[in-house]
Amino acid sequence: MLIWVVASIVFLAIRCVPGDPAELLLSQGGAAPDPATVQQLHEQLGLDRPISVQYVDAFRRLLHGDLGHSVQDDSPVATEIWQRLPRTLELIAAAALVALTTGLPAGLLAALRRGGLFDRTASWVAAAGLAVPVFVVGTILVLVFAQGLHWTSAGGYVPLAQAPGRHFALLAMPAMAIALGLFATVFRMTRTAVLDVSMRDYVRTARAKGVRHHRILTHHVLRNALIPVVTVLALNLGTLLGGTVLVEYVFNYPGLSGMLVDAVSARDYPEVQGIVLVISILFVTLNLLVDLLYGLLDPRIRQTVRQA
Amino acid sequence: MKRPNPIPVAVVAAIAMLAMAVPFLGLANPTAMSIAHRMAPASAAHWLGQDEYGRDVLSRLLWGARVSLSVAAASAAMACLLGTAMGLAGGYLGRVAELLALRSMDVVLCFPPLLLALLVVTLFGPGALTLIPVLALVFLPGFVRVVYAGVLSVRSQEYVDAMRVLGAGRLRIMLRTILPNIAGPILVQLSLAAAAGVVLESGLSFLGLGVLPPAPSWGLMIAAARSTMTQAPLLLLWPCLALSLTILAMNALCDALRDAVDPHRAPGRRPRRLPSLLTPGLLMAPAPLLDVQGLTIEIDTPAGPIQPVRDVSLGVVPGETLALVGESGSGKSLTGLAIMGLLPSVARIAGGAVWVEGRDVLRLEEGELRRLRGNRMAMVFQDPLSSLNPVHRVGSQIAEAIRAHRSLSDHAARDRVLASLRRVGIPDPLRRARSFPHELSGGMRQRTMIAIGIANDPKLLIADEPTTALDVTIQAQVLDLIARLKQEHGMGVLFITHSLPVVAEIADHVAVMYAGEIVEQGTAAEVLTHPLHPYTTALLRSAPAEDGSLPDSIPGTVPLPHQLPTGCAFAPRCQHRTAACEVARPALLTAHPGHTTRCIRWRELAGAPTRQAVA
Ligand code: SF4
Repeated sequence: MLIWVVASIVFLAIRCVPGDPAELLLSQGGAAPDPATVQQLHEQLGLDRPISVQYVDAFRRLLHGDLGHSVQDDSPVATEIWQRLPRTLELIAAAALVALTTGLPAGLLAALRRGGLFDRTASWVAAAGLAVPVFVVGTILVLVFAQGLHWTSAGGYVPLAQAPGRHFALLAMPAMAIALGLFATVFRMTRTAVLDVSMRDYVRTARAKGVRHHRILTHHVLRNALIPVVTVLALNLGTLLGGTVLVEYVFNYPGLSGMLVDAVSARDYPEVQGIVLVISILFVTLNLLVDLLYGLLDPRIRQTVRQA
Repeated sequence: MKRPNPIPVAVVAAIAMLAMAVPFLGLANPTAMSIAHRMAPASAAHWLGQDEYGRDVLSRLLWGARVSLSVAAASAAMACLLGTAMGLAGGYLGRVAELLALRSMDVVLCFPPLLLALLVVTLFGPGALTLIPVLALVFLPGFVRVVYAGVLSVRSQEYVDAMRVLGAGRLRIMLRTILPNIAGPILVQLSLAAAAGVVLESGLSFLGLGVLPPAPSWGLMIAAARSTMTQAPLLLLWPCLALSLTILAMNALCDALRDAVDPHRAPGRRPRRLPSLLTPGLLMAPAPLLDVQGLTIEIDTPAGPIQPVRDVSLGVVPGETLALVGESGSGKSLTGLAIMGLLPSVARIAGGAVWVEGRDVLRLEEGELRRLRGNRMAMVFQDPLSSLNPVHRVGSQIAEAIRAHRSLSDHAARDRVLASLRRVGIPDPLRRARSFPHELSGGMRQRTMIAIGIANDPKLLIADEPTTALDVTIQAQVLDLIARLKQEHGMGVLFITHSLPVVAEIADHVAVMYAGEIVEQGTAAEVLTHPLHPYTTALLRSAPAEDGSLPDSIPGTVPLPHQLPTGCAFAPRCQHRTAACEVARPALLTAHPGHTTRCIRWRELAGAPTRQAVA
């Protein structure tokens, strides 16, 4: 349902904009375009037909997985997206993995040694991680590791099958740039949640039962603290679906978001439409998955979901 | 709302003022090029040097701040006004408005924020003026949600109803009563949006989709400096630094505002158990199961240390119940927690000793104490819903208590879980063991708590108001259950309660606590029928009588722990007070063998007709 609304909005928005897409496309040289060429492009894009026909037609094709053809080089949009989407997803997954494996233990440790040296240091790192925008982190990483130390090249992409070593070397920097901000979020949420959960009555009950300290930590404190942490992480991952734009641009990483920026600057409507649609579908699916995961982590939610 | 931490407020205000003052600072023209001085280093005229077109870096930096901040502030303000209006309408104007406001935000939320911004920029073209509505749209759902949630929580409250009864118009109600109540969260949201605005503006400008060159913007400056970063890394450094520090300050402001709005986030102190500080127990432990001698608990507060429990001594023998009675705040629950070694982190033991089965538990290692807890001594808490872990099944929570103290096979552990559920009278234990706490009724939950408590056949059970949350029938059942378990297993019970009818039903001995001290102690029969302390007498009078006559409540309130009277703690509320009472703190006097009181006038008052039978 939501996806249909999203698709409709994207479709309508593009057609409601003042100005003729075809004219905009052809007038890039600055000179007024030749009316004949405009007419030709109109026919090619199907813009000469009534909006309702275009709409039905677009949806019929959409159901078959056909997102139309790029205005720039006439290649099928869907193919290009399928090629680039896994790269962006891999980037996000790598960043999430790094953020989770560092942020979770760091948050736990900081909460347990609250006010200690580690807590203060990590809190400062996290504050910095939230304050420095991702493209600044990326640029600085390039400056230090690529230009300064020559450890890796400044950016690019090599398929995994072609050269696994290079593949991960090139993945590392953009993933790190994203992971810093994500680490900060996970760290702060873990720390707050652990502090909050430790003061709950059921943790006191566990202590009254004589349960061992580390079991209280894992089975009671962490288990419950995980619920808000997972939620926040998932929300951030959703945001990242569109937010890798900057990092892909900085590292010249041929992902989906980079394609979107190119399409935006080239006014390639079918491409923009297709990418926005795919990302939105992913975003909505991710949110559904989060709800499911949430139910898995919290039996109280599971029940209300089942009742609904 | 508290006052927020002033430092981030001041820093952000300073940055904002600097940005506003830029046109009056007499800076070089930020867009004036001078190709001859491309990338010139810092000089007297150009403090931070010149960029790749010879423009003054300092001037561009400050003008850039102006652009960034005004875009962020304008978009946040726009989203705030629109979002507040929509949230108020959605929360207050009925179903249609509610549906429209919330559904439309769901649609906006289908797009990741940066993507949404990109999409709109595609349609309307880049530039600072497009940027403001774009960012406002991105921030809108946050405001709508915060305001909507705020309205929902406020609108049902009595004073809104009161206003409605008084005939106030809807708009007036919304603006006058609801807005001030949700102002805090809105303010927090506003600061979050402004900070996010700076980030998004710079990001979009960096991509060339935000502020257009040659206008100065931090994002643009970073993008431009990237191409020359090997020759002139400083050109990259300044805008990066300015941007990051601004965001850092704004984030700190958000945190400070949130702390100020949310009272739960006050920082606390780390606790310490300091057994070495205690006076070593001089008395030899006598035979009883539980023996508490001179227990004193201290809590540090901003107004200085307080002692919510002072010099408490009591004992429990096997197969008997001692009821610890007092109003809330008398220190009875803290006493129970101290015996278990479970004092909240702010509290510490300042003196005294606690023996359980002859072991001095206050001086035990945490590991040894753990082996006693839940095994030889157990505690049942007041609120079973919050005391059970919501994410684990009831059966596994009982099994955890058993397995913490003995290694059993899965099968044996399950048998024991079912047996203990059966013992507390839970029907269909097989099914109940697989339930989650929220799926049980209040009575069932409390039985589960008791099942956890007795799972290992403890010798001492501390029950902290276990029946307060329950209705009368269930309460009677739970009391019977505890009495039965006591008899069957020779368990000693310390029963903490404020209810005298409950005491009459269950207790063998009674200790009455007032303002952190025990004021009277004796057998239940003695204390309930021949009270020797005016406070006990007053408590008995305030208990609901069986004949239905209205109880007399005790005038006045319990003194605050840091404003204790010098003499008798009950003196301000006592009808029998004399000058002598306020001179010094009365000692615990033995009236008859086994019956003590902390009243200096007990002998004179004993003849007075102050008794009243209690259920
Ligand atoms: S000591 Fe005096 S003030 Fe205190 S309870 Fe006895 S009579 Fe009342």
